[in-house]
Amino acid sequence: MTVLASVSLATFLVAGLAATQFRSQPLPPSNRLARDEALRKSVNQLEDQNRALKARVQTLQADVKAGEDESARRSSAAQEVKAQLDEQKTFAGLTALHGPGLTVLLHDGTDPNSPVDHSLGWTIHYQDLQDIVNVLWASGAEAIAVNGQRIVPSTAFHYAGVNILVNNASRLSGPYTVIAVGDPPALANGVGNPDQLAELKSRNRIYGLGFSWLRSTRLSVPAYDATFLVKYAQPIG
Amino acid sequence: MRSPSVELTARSQRLVIFSLIAIGLGFLIVVQLRSQAAVARTLAAQDDTSVALLINDLNRANNQLIQQNAVLAEQQTQLQKALTSGGADSQALSKELTTLREVNGAIAVHGPGLEIRIQGPVMDFELQDALNNLRNAGAEAISLNGYRIIGSTPVVSRGDILMVAGHAVRTPLVMLVIGDAEQLGPAADLSASSLQTRVQVSIQRQDDLAITEVVTPRPVIYAQLGK
Repeated sequence: MTVLASVSLATFLVAGLAATQFRSQPLPPSNRLARDEALRKSVNQLEDQNRALKARVQTLQADVKAGEDESARRSSAAQEVKAQLDEQKTFAGLTALHGPGLTVLLHDGTDPNSPVDHSLGWTIHYQDLQDIVNVLWASGAEAIAVNGQRIVPSTAFHYAGVNILVNNASRLSGPYTVIAVGDPPALANGVGNPDQLAELKSRNRIYGLGFSWLRSTRLSVPAYDATFLVKYAQPIG
Repeated sequence: MRSPSVELTARSQRLVIFSLIAIGLGFLIVVQLRSQAAVARTLAAQDDTSVALLINDLNRANNQLIQQNAVLAEQQTQLQKALTSGGADSQALSKELTTLREVNGAIAVHGPGLEIRIQGPVMDFELQDALNNLRNAGAEAISLNGYRIIGSTPVVSRGDILMVAGHAVRTPLVMLVIGDAEQLGPAADLSASSLQTRVQVSIQRQDDLAITEVVTPRPVIYAQLGK
């Protein structure tokens, strides 16, 4: 057993040393670099917190749902409201769905490194995702997700510097996969319509930017990983 | 009592197994560290302004998530309290139902916000950008020329005609937006600044706007519940 323990310990230490070696890169003696490091560390900490908070929301949602199910079992009035609630949750994107549909794939093209072309047309912008989502809704999509983020009534794409953010600061990075559940031919016709997404299609030809789509008989979109707060709008009547 | 040769074979096997576990463990640690480094490298390639903006957005989102957690925790306590006392709290369910109907545009709402008037032709992508900016600033309900706009409302240009949810909308465009006017203002200004080069845009804060139009949810034909 002593030999066993020694060999295991030695092997573990070697692997550990490899990891330490990997980690220990010399920090340049500059305040600026230290500041940069601190900024990036803050992002990592905030993203960890973001994930933990979303996980907590999902746990609470499951608890609330269990309470609602039990309430519906006990009272017919609650059962009636619960049926309407389930329907509204589906419309709001709070439930996972599956069905036939279309997968749209996007990725950056090639930087032309041209002294006259500073358009950044070779990269995917948040507006491209916004346009595709809009065309898919117009083509009858019943549910959409982008890189695993469900598109819900409050969804907005935007830039934070070079980062594309969606749904509570979830960072999206390429390649981008847009999944839409709906009638595959109708969705494909919408995306393929020459009058739609014309600028994206043109950049696809010029910069080799990736833009393709695929019909599927079974796709799934996850439920929204948070919930909705309404603070200002009040129901009339 | 096992023979010495059997004992030796067993020891060798244990040695190999322990070594494999230790190697595997060490490998996993290194892989884990490499993955973290890969994420950090992506971030490291960004300029400080991008990182600072990202921090700002993450702080804002995390504050929202903390509030969502508080609302859900309260909802759960309320439901549980009724269940413990042997009943069922249909009021808690009704409250959530109202919130979701507001979000889905299924009921008429009122509240503070902005009235945005656009005099002149606007393209679909311009309106989409404006709607996107307003949602990002926390818009809770939007209508345009008498049509309620929700997240899944398509906005399409057919030639010079702007179509919202399949209906043609003509200038002047009057957009009502309910939400925190302090937050919505800068978002509206941003959209207006890009439009104002060719159309006239006016933005007015209102203490109480009414959006009475509602959206009828389209029938779900292809999607089914579950992953």
